[in-house]
Order: sequence, then structure tokens, then C-alpha cells
Amino acid sequence: MPEKKYVSIFLEGRKIKVPEGYTVIEALWDTGHDIKRGVGCLSGLCGACAIAYLEPGGKRVKFGLGCQTIVKEGMNITVMPFFPSRTAHYKISQMEKPIEKLKEIYPELYMCQSCGFCSVACPEWINVSKVMSFLKDGEYEKATEMMLDCILCGLCASRCPRGIAPQIISLFVQRAIEKERPLPENLKKRLAELEDLKYEELWAEILKMDENRLKEFCENERKERV
Amino acid sequence: MYPEQLLENISLLDKTRDFRLNESFPALSEEKKKDLLETFHPDFKSAAFRTLRVGVNKGDRTVHEIADLLEAFSSFDYKEIDFENPDIETDVLVLGGGGAGITAALFAESAGAKVVLATKLRLGNSNTIMALGGMQASVDEKDSPVKHFADTMVAGQFKSRKELVRVMVDDGPRIVKWLLELGVNFDRDENGNLLTKRAGGSSAPRILSIGDYTGLNIIKILKDEIRNRENIEILEFSPAIELTTNEFGECNGAVLFDLERKRFFLVKAKAVVLATGGSGRLHIQGFQTSNNFGATGDAIVLAYRAGARLEGLDSFQYHPTGIVYPDHMVGVLITEAIRSLGAHLVNSKGERFVNELETRDVVSAAMIRECEEGRGVKTPSGRVGVWLDTPVLTLKHGKGFLMKKFPALYRMFKRVKIDIEKRPLLVYPTLHYQNGGVLIDEKGETTVKNLFVAGEAAGGIHGKNRLMGNSLLDIFVFGRRAGLAAARRRYKDAGKQTLKHVDRYYNELRNLRITTVAKTPRIFQEFIVVK
Repeated sequence: MPEKKYVSIFLEGRKIKVPEGYTVIEALWDTGHDIKRGVGCLSGLCGACAIAYLEPGGKRVKFGLGCQTIVKEGMNITVMPFFPSRTAHYKISQMEKPIEKLKEIYPELYMCQSCGFCSVACPEWINVSKVMSFLKDGEYEKATEMMLDCILCGLCASRCPRGIAPQIISLFVQRAIEKERPLPENLKKRLAELEDLKYEELWAEILKMDENRLKEFCENERKERV
Repeated sequence: MYPEQLLENISLLDKTRDFRLNESFPALSEEKKKDLLETFHPDFKSAAFRTLRVGVNKGDRTVHEIADLLEAFSSFDYKEIDFENPDIETDVLVLGGGGAGITAALFAESAGAKVVLATKLRLGNSNTIMALGGMQASVDEKDSPVKHFADTMVAGQFKSRKELVRVMVDDGPRIVKWLLELGVNFDRDENGNLLTKRAGGSSAPRILSIGDYTGLNIIKILKDEIRNRENIEILEFSPAIELTTNEFGECNGAVLFDLERKRFFLVKAKAVVLATGGSGRLHIQGFQTSNNFGATGDAIVLAYRAGARLEGLDSFQYHPTGIVYPDHMVGVLITEAIRSLGAHLVNSKGERFVNELETRDVVSAAMIRECEEGRGVKTPSGRVGVWLDTPVLTLKHGKGFLMKKFPALYRMFKRVKIDIEKRPLLVYPTLHYQNGGVLIDEKGETTVKNLFVAGEAAGGIHGKNRLMGNSLLDIFVFGRRAGLAAARRRYKDAGKQTLKHVDRYYNELRNLRITTVAKTPRIFQEFIVVK
């Protein structure tokens, strides 16, 4: 067993030694922080473990995810499991043309001055500032495409000098533009078949089959590969 | 960045790449497959299993970790709870804040019920967000629900309950419509049709996806929807630690534990939907897991003590390609699509050892064989794995192919300074999915009245092996069914809340002289950093 090496870090202001190679979350656990708030999937996807940190010699604060960031000697870290973000209330299923209501629902979008602070903070490396520009210009598809990787960690909102929450606004847009699209034809056809109870007789038959008959039926059904 | 000892082995890999590119690796015969599975697949490792000594499923075979979970007492002392005065009364109590729980809550509310949703972590923190690949639903013209049914039954080795599979595949297209109407933006083709992709074990293209982040985007939208509903109260960081039953043994609420205040509170409900997911964090047979921090099998403990029947807990799915290095990414899954496109699995000698397109269980078994027989690659922290040679795809399809095809994956490893176009990934089979669970009927109800289960916690749907993309479908189908059926129970009297079922269960344990230090539900696995 190789000898354990340690690094000194500042964890929420306290100087403490933890084994080398730990993630921020592991360092917190190791030092007795019983945290549940900032922990979720442990694979960098759920956005529960946002952190801010300063590296030794670094000039500005950086941002990341606690489960994906390895502690380094002299790092100064705090956990930000939550940041207040304004969420509007709306019933999208009852709205005729929801995208037209964007201005009404999230007027703060148009206060964005494209300073770019949000993009710097994003742990998913999304150019959030660009997303905001697209949203302001009505390029909703492009904005949505870029935000598919968003994990709702809220770090962009925490950096916005105008107090805007890009992750929440773009989520409304993502939903609103989907509502504009017609129901897919292939889905419509299948739904019509189901409405006509096209498979009902076959189901009745299938449910009555004994195991051998069922096996034979399923193998047959699968033979014809589409 | 890989350390020296791994780089050395990688250079061996680089040398055999050209040869491997043109090597054809035959599929195994049925007989050899069977032999490989029985020798190396964890589901066949008899020393890892035992029979349950208590409860409804007495005599059934399951892994030690699950048996330990069930043959145990709770660490909580419920004496201080006043069962006459619940802290909250509601129509429907939903336990679990993943895809199944949120769906159940939304449908129960739509049906007019007052809903409380309690979850262990943050709303949405679940395995649903990690479902990257997609969701099965038969929407393609040449496909049909019956074909979907046949694929599912064959994958599950005919151990699935056919009536459950039938409702799952039949509801599939309707669930897609519901999701679209909520604003879920599934990928479409140039004609506006839903884009369908192929998955292993499926006889038609049936996978719907949203880029390579399907589950994440659905959860984001469901979260946005649920916070706009007036009659749903959400309680975060409040895991359920016991169900309550009335004098007839029907479920009528739960004891929750506020993780931050560290105190109990009692919720009374006309019906309960249990949707707290699977059990990957029990690290069954010592396997690493892809599961989220909270997946500790609480549902099966709670339901079993209340008298619900379990099914299929002798079978788990091990995803062949979970990351082994770097340490903080252990268990992160690499999509199957990489292997379908031709990435090789290579041992420490630089040789391939299995046709990479075999089913998940066969590939996993072959990987375990390589490692047990000394042809695995060891990491500095002592883990063992084999290489998933991604650079072979660069060789085959040209530079930039992986970056374009798998942007999320490429970026994920770029962050740790591993360029998957140039360097392979070290992988090992990873505990991924609990194939069985609490047995349900078509309504989502268990053998205990007014107790519904949906999602990974439920049993009877996937038999011995789950088809890729079916879990993302089943959470919505049975979440909806459970939510609607639970809402209909709101007109009757819930009766008095008791823990008599727990007393009975404890008596059974004591009569058998079962003593144990294990306390369940586990809620969180005690965290041990292994380096």
C-alpha cells in the first residue's frame, strides 16, 4: 500500500488536510460534513453539487461541480447547493401560443446585457450568454439546442449582475416551442390505431397463450426485423 | 490524464490496434454463452445468494445484500410518534421524486386529488436523469406494440408478467403524446416525425431520445410542470422510513424523517405511491454502481414489512462498460452505442476477447472472466478493468468522429484530460438496474391494498433482463397508472394509522432468532472512501 499523500485546502473557510485525489464531495465527507444537500448522482449530471473555488495564485473565482472537481493543494472552496432563481407561474398545457407570452412571463430576459459572466460559470461549458442573445433575438430553436446539456445547477444565475436566471427562462422556451410543433405524423397514426382498438383481439389471444405458445409467437413476431 | 503504469499498457494497445481493426470476432454459440454466463455472471454465483427466512417471499432466493436488508430491524425508535395526530393529511402520498414519483403526483393531482410528494434528496435527483440513451415506444409505422411486447418478453427470458408488459407497450404511444404536450422535445426527423433509433435486442427502431441527455431533459420539464401545480406539496430531504397500515392491513400513510431537523413526521393518506427507485448503492456483490446516491432499496424494505409480495430480486442488470479510472468517475456509464459503432473491448495483453455486440450479460461475463483470470488492467487504487478502445473508432471513421457523435461524453473526459479520440477508457461491469422489485398489478397496486409502486422499485415487468430504453418508459406508464388509481381511493376512510405490521414482522424475525447489526431502511450507504 503506497503511503497516503495529503493536501491542505480551505473548506468553507477552514484550513484542513485531506488525502490527495479526493473530490470536493469526498473531502467534505472525509472531514465530517454530513452533507446531503449538495449530493445527488455523483456523476456530474444532477447539478446538486455546484461549487465555487479559488486556486492558489488564481486571480478569479472558478466554478464547477463538487463530485467532479479534485481538490488541489491550497484550493479555497465553498459549496453552493442552491441559488435563488425566479420562477414564473404558468400552465403551459392551457396556453394556446405560449412562446408569445415570453415577454410577459420573463420580462427580465430583455434586461440581459450580454456581459458573459454566466458563460464563465457554466460547468457544462455552455455559452449561456450566447443562449440569452438567441432568446432575445427570437432564435428559440438554437437556444434550446444549446441548453440541452443544462443540468439546472443555477451557477449562471448566481453570476448574473442583473439577477436573471437563464436556466429557468430557457426551460420555459424549450417547452413553449415544442408546443408550437404539430403532433408527429407517425405518432398520430399509431394513436389512431390504438383508438380503433386494432390490437385488442390479438392481445386477448396473447394473454391466453401458454408459455410454449407464447415463446413461439414472440420469436415469430421478432423474426421480421424492421 | 492516465498515470505511467496505465500509459504503459495503453502503448501495447496502440500496437495491436491496426491488427484488431481487421480482425473479425465470431459470436458465441448458445452452448458457450450458457457456459460463460453460468461460470462468470454474478446472477449465477451461488455463494452470493441465499433464501429469505421471513415474510411473504419466505423461501425465495435473493442476494445476501437484499436478504440482509429485509431480515433486519429499523434503527429508528418510533415510540415518540403520536399516531393519533398526523402532521400532514392528504389524499395521495407519493414517495420518491424521480420520473415515476413526479408522474404519479401529476396524474393524481390532475384527477382531483390533493398530493404530497416526499423525497430523500432534491426533487428530480434520481436515476431518471442519468437515463442518457432514450425511451422505447412503438411509434414507427412498421413497428407495433405487439413487436415491442415480443422483444420485451424475449429479453426478460419470459419471466416478465405478460399482462404488465402488455399495458406498458400499449400505453407507450399515449405516454409519448402526454410528454410532447408537456413540452418534451424529442428529436424529430426532417418530416417532423419522431426520430426512432435502434437498440440491442429490439426488432424495430424504437428508441426516442433528446440528444444524448434524454432523461435529464424530461426531468427538467417535469420539475417545471410540478412546481406550477397548486395541489402538490413537495417535501425534499424527507425520506420515508416506514409505511403505516390500518386495522385491515391497508396502507394509509408513512413515517417520514426530516434529514435536516432530524425528526419524524407522520403523513396520513388515503393511498400511497412508493417510487423510491432501486438498490444500486447497496453495491451488490461488491460491484461498483451507476446509481445515484440515494438508491438504497428503501422501497422493498418498507413494502415487504407491510406485507407486499416481491418478485424477481434474484436478478440484476450489470452494464458492461462502467468507468474504473479516474476514481471519482467510477460507475459512470459509457453508452452501448460506442460498442455498436465498433469500439473494441481489449484485455491487458492487447487482445479482444468477446464479440462486443453480444448481449449485456454475456459481455459482462466475458469481462469478468478476463479480470479473474489475470488479464485485467489494474489502476493505482487497486481497481481492475479492461480497455474500451475508443481510438479504434477514430481510426475507422476519422478524426473528430467521436467528438461530433458523442459531444457530452467527449467533453466529460476532456475535463479530466483524457481525449477519447486518442486514448481508450478503462471499464468494468457496473451494477445498473434492479430487474425485480415489489410486485404490482396493471393499476400499479401491490398485494397490500392502497399501496402502489412505480418505477425501478416495481417488480414483474422486466423478468430476468431489462431491454434498453424500457425503464424510461415504465416509469411514466406505471407512474401514471399508480397516480390515477391512487387518486380514486380518496373517497374512503383511511382508518387509524399503526405500525402493527412492523411489530408482526419483528416478531417473525425474533421467533427465528434472527439478530443482526444491520439497520434498515438504509437511507444512505455509510460513505467509505476507498482509495
